[in-house]
Amino acid sequence: MADQVKYPGRLISVDGTRGKDVTLAANDIVARLKHDGIECAVSRWDASGLFTDMAAGIGGDRNVSIRTLSLVYAADLAFRLRWEIRPVLEAGGVVIAAPYIDTAAAFGAICGLDEEWLRRLMRFAPAAGYRGLVDERKIDRPWKRRTDRGYAEYGALLLEAAAPKRVSKPARRRMMTMLDRARGRKVYHLTNKGIGALAKALIGSRKDASRPSASRPRNGHK
Amino acid sequence: MPRSPSARRIKKLIAEREASRGLLIAFEGPDGSGKTTQRKLLKRWLESQNHQVVSTRWASSALVKPMLKVRKKIRTLSIEEYSLLHAVDFRHRVETSILPALWAGQTVLADRYLFTALARDAARGLDLDWLLHAYSPLLWPDLVIYFSMTPEDSRRRVASTRAPHFYEAGQDVTGIEDPLASYGRFIDRVVKEYNNLSVVFQFMTVDAGDAVYRQHTRVRELVEKSGKRPWPTFSKEAVEEWLTKSNIRGA
Repeated sequence: MADQVKYPGRLISVDGTRGKDVTLAANDIVARLKHDGIECAVSRWDASGLFTDMAAGIGGDRNVSIRTLSLVYAADLAFRLRWEIRPVLEAGGVVIAAPYIDTAAAFGAICGLDEEWLRRLMRFAPAAGYRGLVDERKIDRPWKRRTDRGYAEYGALLLEAAAPKRVSKPARRRMMTMLDRARGRKVYHLTNKGIGALAKALIGSRKDASRPSASRPRNGHK
Repeated sequence: MPRSPSARRIKKLIAEREASRGLLIAFEGPDGSGKTTQRKLLKRWLESQNHQVVSTRWASSALVKPMLKVRKKIRTLSIEEYSLLHAVDFRHRVETSILPALWAGQTVLADRYLFTALARDAARGLDLDWLLHAYSPLLWPDLVIYFSMTPEDSRRRVASTRAPHFYEAGQDVTGIEDPLASYGRFIDRVVKEYNNLSVVFQFMTVDAGDAVYRQHTRVRELVEKSGKRPWPTFSKEAVEEWLTKSNIRGA
């Protein structure tokens, strides 16, 4: 079930607490990589349209739990992997998943779910090679309750009535703290400098990958 | 603003409710095994005994049904998406219709339950451990009635009434163009999975080949004999989570 395939492509995750900032950070990475001669694809939240359809269907009745929302996130992620992420990785390209697993795990955790449950649920998704964390603006403000901005904003709207404290202003800070944990891989803070460092690391790894292996006999060697 | 009830109070509430809560009965079995007929007969009988009865059907939540319907129609669902959307439907029904009805003392008859997902999705190649994880925390039924039949009989019965649709026929995994031929192959795997599950989860088996009235008599006997699977032992986490979220009086 777990995706342990070694893809020739590169996967960059971009996570954050605010949908707009995640979108902007992904755009900044695209622009930077393009400047360095690398084309890349972007996979965004709700590419499947599940959340949009759900918002249209529920209307005023917001009797949806964080566990249900997390399962919808996982279904949307499965769609994105199938149509947007894996094809690029298999073709050896670069793809940005904005947002990816960490956003759902951190938001679910601050809303009372076990983080490990969330991570195991999404274990069908390959691990990102590069983890980007959005440089948040307006961190001291609560989430805007909207269905069209990002996962956290969407969740804040739906969970507001049942669990207002879970989606309050301090909750957003707690989510940021959770996202900031390293979890065994370098985190790139997506400021201008951070994006530059990420691009440099990515370009370096692609050069390494194209270089012949030192252990392989080259032409003329017996 | 709803107050968050303390863990101790919730534990006490669940224990107190155990005697008056309703019974959850799941009807499982391959397509064409007569689950719906038996569920309706049992409902009528229970109501004649002055029980309040609520029925719930697979993939029927108002939240998910429209989304699933359109995606099934255009055949765009991957195995994981198919499985996860059914998990969304199941969770939503557990939280919004099954648990509230049980809490109010009503008997709930589930026309297909968790085991349908386990059998179908495992037959599609998904890992059973991951499936159980996606459906957790589990709300265990008090009784699972399994309508047992061979894959050949299921195929014959389905063929006599309709052509199975794309996902029901398992065409997404078999790759066979003819729906009935695909169904024949797919249901073979599903029945194997059901048979394994019936041992592990102690289903009560009814022979789906028997006459309808005989099956109904057996179903009645099973229901009369059935005890409750205590929530504090079997379904604590699921009920606690629902109570924490819901603004139940006393919680």
